[in-house]
Amino acid sequence: MLRKSMMIHPQDSVAMVLEDSKKGDVIRTPRGEITLLEDVEFAHKVLVTPLKKGEPVIKYQEEIGYMLVDAPAGTWIHNHNMGCDRGKV
Amino acid sequence: MKFMGYRRPDGRVGVRNYLAIIPSVFCANKTVERIAAQVPGAIALKHPVGCSQVGLDLELTARTLCAMGCHPNVGAVLIVGLGCERFNPQELYDAVKANGKPVEMLLIQKEGGTTNTIRRGAELAKKLMEYVQAQQRVECDVSELMIATKCGGTDATSGLAANPAVGNMADRIVAEGGSAILSECNELLGTEDMLARRAVSPEVAQKVYDAIYEIEDLLQSSLDTDLAGNRNELISPGNFAGGVSSVVEKALGGVHKSGTSPIVDVLQYATAPEKGKHGLFLMDYESHDGEVVTGMIGCGAQIVAFTTGRGNPTGHPLAPVLKVTGNYKTYAGMKENFDFDASGIISAGDTVEDKGKELLDLVLRVANGELTVAEQIGGDELFCIARRHGYHKRDVEQLRARHSCPAD
Repeated sequence: MLRKSMMIHPQDSVAMVLEDSKKGDVIRTPRGEITLLEDVEFAHKVLVTPLKKGEPVIKYQEEIGYMLVDAPAGTWIHNHNMGCDRGKV
Repeated sequence: MKFMGYRRPDGRVGVRNYLAIIPSVFCANKTVERIAAQVPGAIALKHPVGCSQVGLDLELTARTLCAMGCHPNVGAVLIVGLGCERFNPQELYDAVKANGKPVEMLLIQKEGGTTNTIRRGAELAKKLMEYVQAQQRVECDVSELMIATKCGGTDATSGLAANPAVGNMADRIVAEGGSAILSECNELLGTEDMLARRAVSPEVAQKVYDAIYEIEDLLQSSLDTDLAGNRNELISPGNFAGGVSSVVEKALGGVHKSGTSPIVDVLQYATAPEKGKHGLFLMDYESHDGEVVTGMIGCGAQIVAFTTGRGNPTGHPLAPVLKVTGNYKTYAGMKENFDFDASGIISAGDTVEDKGKELLDLVLRVANGELTVAEQIGGDELFCIARRHGYHKRDVEQLRARHSCPAD
């Protein structure tokens, strides 16, 4: 089913899902319709564009981290598949 | 824009009118608590420090306790010391005296023990309370307000609704000639370039970079990879559960609570701005809720705007703390802990401007005396004094050399 979502900036690589959503649900974004590849909770992020391992993840038009794996659009993005080195040794 | 506040002898304006009973050392905590229990309206500022400290750690304790005693939300002060502690209670007495407020001091070792100190303390406190209660609210200008901003229990809605609403309110306060403070520099990693661009001068921009670089160095020095992974996370389990995936994502949302005003200076912990300086400040400290809120109150903030996506019940004994959320589920789930619901920005098409204006109206009502929900509950958890032990400040050139983005 169609779920509410938002992108902070059309050039971001992620959208925020605004309802608890299920695998197979669809969100409508400035980058087209995206089918969720897994369950995604309210306020969590999904890729709106495929990214390769090492590529930056963009939200608020800024880099919030980098991909730890290759992933297609519709992937839930969180600390299991996105890294960030700021503040770390 | 006007509100009714308490004009203090040092010229600053309070929005509350407390008798503060302050232990100079933790050994006096129970005595202070029992004195305060006998005097309705008195607040006991209990804390775990005041002795066995050296260097900056002891300095932060001294500075914070003096700032609390001199705070404009306080009408008079009773100090209770033990008598042998490293933070000399006389230093606190002298600071409050110089600030022009009525102040009394007792030392437990000199009074002959706990019971005598409580009896004598209650007498003195009742007398001080008569003075406090005689203070009247007078018309004050919004330019005399300073609002502290803070996020605690952040989720991914905070950066979209609650923080932008607080930022818009802060912009309105600054536009009226007032002040606001942003801090939690460890949760500003990744925003240093945009913050430095907002600085009023290259000197202030460099101070912004230095504050954030030093906190990052402090974080890096504190991590211990011999310990389990969850001892080394830079954000909380609640942040992760709420959809925040990295410290930089948290920072890019958190920075919105500062609005869009220029940064006029970087303040040290619990240190008032230069006289006559107003506007948006950055305070150089990290994000422990209690320590950073106490530090910003120590800078002179009379009201705290506290955003939370996960929900948070805490308050501060000296200053009203307004709880703001952008998460409709959290608001519905723990309504009694919120003063303001900004979730309509995400889910109902409300604008940040409208919510910012509504929030300013609420701030002014609170300045006039309306109690926040944390005050009604009696929340006082946020009085915590900053600690700094074991960290050796690096040379500033060395810190700058480790980053690629100098200010000029």
